[in-house]
Amino acid sequence: MTLHQRRFETVVPDRPIGRLDDIADGHSRGFDPLGEGRDTMFVVRRGGSVFAYRNHCPHYDRARMAWKKDEFMNGDRSQIMCSAHGALFSIEDGACTQGPCLGLSLYPVAVELRDGEIWITEPYAPGFWRERSA
Amino acid sequence: MRIVGPDELVFGVDDPAACRSFLADYGLMEAPAPDGAHFFEALDGTGFTLRRRDDPALPAPLRTGSMLRLTVWGVEDQASLDAIEAELSRDRKVDKAADGTLRCQDDAGFEIAFRISTRRKLDLPAEMINSPGAKPGRPANVIGANQDAEARPRTLSHIVYFVPDMDKMANFYIDRLKFVVTDKFNNAGPFLRPQANWDHHCLFMIQTPEYMQGLEHVAFHMQGPTDLMLAGSRMVKKGYESFWGPGRHKFGSNWFWYFNSPLGTHIEYDADMDLHDDEWEARYADIQPETAQMFLFENVEKWTPGGPPPGKK
Repeated sequence: MTLHQRRFETVVPDRPIGRLDDIADGHSRGFDPLGEGRDTMFVVRRGGSVFAYRNHCPHYDRARMAWKKDEFMNGDRSQIMCSAHGALFSIEDGACTQGPCLGLSLYPVAVELRDGEIWITEPYAPGFWRERSA
Repeated sequence: MRIVGPDELVFGVDDPAACRSFLADYGLMEAPAPDGAHFFEALDGTGFTLRRRDDPALPAPLRTGSMLRLTVWGVEDQASLDAIEAELSRDRKVDKAADGTLRCQDDAGFEIAFRISTRRKLDLPAEMINSPGAKPGRPANVIGANQDAEARPRTLSHIVYFVPDMDKMANFYIDRLKFVVTDKFNNAGPFLRPQANWDHHCLFMIQTPEYMQGLEHVAFHMQGPTDLMLAGSRMVKKGYESFWGPGRHKFGSNWFWYFNSPLGTHIEYDADMDLHDDEWEARYADIQPETAQMFLFENVEKWTPGGPPPGKK
């Protein structure tokens, strides 16, 4: 992860990343907790539960997963899909079920709901690999 | 064998609405298609057919679940088609449809088809540039920067497969279909062009484990670097996910910009690819950042320097 340690520090964000109500049930949404300019994680909502992962396909280093802003799911929204090569992942535990990453899993982000808000509960490392000049 | 290049890719997708909006925004145009199918074409009529993943009209899927279900190669004439039928019938079942299209599997298990190419002949200008020391590419008063240019993909350029046995796959196309190796990444695979196409590559492959077999990306040729930048930046603005680019490759010299897609593969814009004839001698290199690209950029939001001096409003 040394590439990720440049300008942005690893911290537990001191504010929620968003609200449960911002995500339609069964849908996904990307977030940029450290303000890096890119969605470095995403959350999938199932009813009152949320499942959060880094926006990094375990197949290729640095591969972002959506095909469009906030679109991290397959057609019937039963699984998470990486739109780089179609790998499918279990929503609940992030394990790859089909495609290029079999045997690998998405990198989970520890989150919890407090009064309808989504909080990251553990130190969050920068996810955007590019070195920034300012 | 006079194979021209890929004419059509057929996909079995699980989110047709997403795929249709993606391909339309990418710049392909929807054209008439049989019931249950949607066809999106480049300016010369090459393109993608989409069907629902469970459509019985589709060839059987790969076990890996790749959404690519069929690659259709265009050939010059009936004699080429007959030669392919004779060659491949020696060791596999080759189905012949009523319209003469041939269908079989290649040695990696990909479903492939051959037909007399349906490509429409294009007669379009290249990107025109002015360069000191050279005759003007554009006459006086002809503007180069056209924000509203259509920037549509012109033709299907190349396909890149993930294959478990690169040599077996490559040898099928080289030995049986007479593709030519233009260059090779030793640790990935060879760049191949068919005999009736001088493009640096119509076919490339990357060696992977078996469970990955499928499509790495597919590319369309654009008019030139400017159209590529314009089309790609429009995609970014609409919220699509840039995967790699814009940049310029070394082998092939093509400008590139790759995007994620709901078809479960990268889709690339490319421009200004090298042409090679039979005099060319293949180069060999290991694939790594230094050999894969001459340079690489990343899109950022539009911005302009200037404004009032500090302290002034």
